[in-house]
Amino acid sequence: MEIIGIFGLVFVMWLMIILVSFFLIVVVAPLHISVFHNTTDRYITSAIQAVFALGIVIALISLLGKMKGRYLKNKLNLP
Amino acid sequence: MLSPIISILVQATIVSSISFLTVYFLMPWFIRYLIKKGSVVQDYHKSKRPAVPRPAGPILLLGIAISEIILYFLVPDVKILAILLTTVIAFIVGYIDDMRVMPGWFKPVALVVAAVPILVLVAHGSHLNLIFGDSYIPILYLGLILAIIPIAGNTINSIDVLNGVATGIIIISSIPLLISIAIFGDRETLLAGLPMLFSTIALYRYHKIPSKIFPGDSGTLLLGAMYGALAIAGKSEIIGVIALLPAVMNSFLFLSSVKKIVEHRDIKSRPTILTDDFKLAASRSTDAPSTLVRLIVAKGPLSEGQIARRIFTLAIFSSILALITIAIQFYFIKW
Repeated sequence: MEIIGIFGLVFVMWLMIILVSFFLIVVVAPLHISVFHNTTDRYITSAIQAVFALGIVIALISLLGKMKGRYLKNKLNLP
Repeated sequence: MLSPIISILVQATIVSSISFLTVYFLMPWFIRYLIKKGSVVQDYHKSKRPAVPRPAGPILLLGIAISEIILYFLVPDVKILAILLTTVIAFIVGYIDDMRVMPGWFKPVALVVAAVPILVLVAHGSHLNLIFGDSYIPILYLGLILAIIPIAGNTINSIDVLNGVATGIIIISSIPLLISIAIFGDRETLLAGLPMLFSTIALYRYHKIPSKIFPGDSGTLLLGAMYGALAIAGKSEIIGVIALLPAVMNSFLFLSSVKKIVEHRDIKSRPTILTDDFKLAASRSTDAPSTLVRLIVAKGPLSEGQIARRIFTLAIFSSILALITIAIQFYFIKW
């Protein structure tokens, strides 16, 4: 049974990668900021996109860390 | 004049055969050489703690390098050189670590240098394939390349904990990666990937349980870095990550529990303990780092062979997920 739990973890990791990819392509990539109406806008847009992408990856890592912690506590009866 | 398909098949057969045969036939001689030289380590998971020679990296590199050089003469493409140079630098980093005890930061930092040939020889694209489309991130992508090679190298290095596991995972994960390169990448990168698969199959013959030789840091780092280089050059970064998910999960579990880059040998509380009947059981210590093996044996002790089989089952599962992802990506990008 323990292997099914780990299969579940791998599957959830895969789903998260799919969802993050979807979000990056559908929401983050089309973002366009128009403030100065010159090339500066391109840099601002890129910076915001990079912050979004990094934020999502950090959230993903934090969520996986929580899942791992719960799984181990449950299986090893840790305090 | 050969037709293009026959020509690719001939080139693929040549590089695959040379890499496989070089490693397969030279490894027994190299094992005897290492034993004679006294370059052995104890296998702590066996009852008699046999002395196992290490590292297999030099012969593995020889098999890959000969095939890649021949391939470069058959198909002169700079990507082949970039992949080979990345692999050679990763081997040198690993070989230094095999010969001397280096601090934990050494491998990830030194492996950044291994990514340089990909950048200098421009073996990369400027679009990142993100399953549902591709994203044009020319500057961010350069940083990503500098991160991918150290991460891939250390991921394979940290899964090399039991007989045959690192080589077995590379063999299984290479299949969806090469399929992805064939679809989204190019012929040259696909051909350059075959020596990694076939030389690893030959090495697995000697690395599987009970191991006759260990790959060492030189072997695992070169395999990981080459895997990463192929994923970059073959426009298959996300597919490469998914195919390697059990090993990625292992690295993530370890790093998220120790919260710093540190060598396994420097960990005070081990993630698993060896039982009297030479099975591995999960450590109950709250200080022990989390690893994939610790998760697998969480329910009860298992033998080394049983754990290796479970890791391979997970690798097959993640490879199936990678194949499903290839199908989704094909629909959204190629169609």
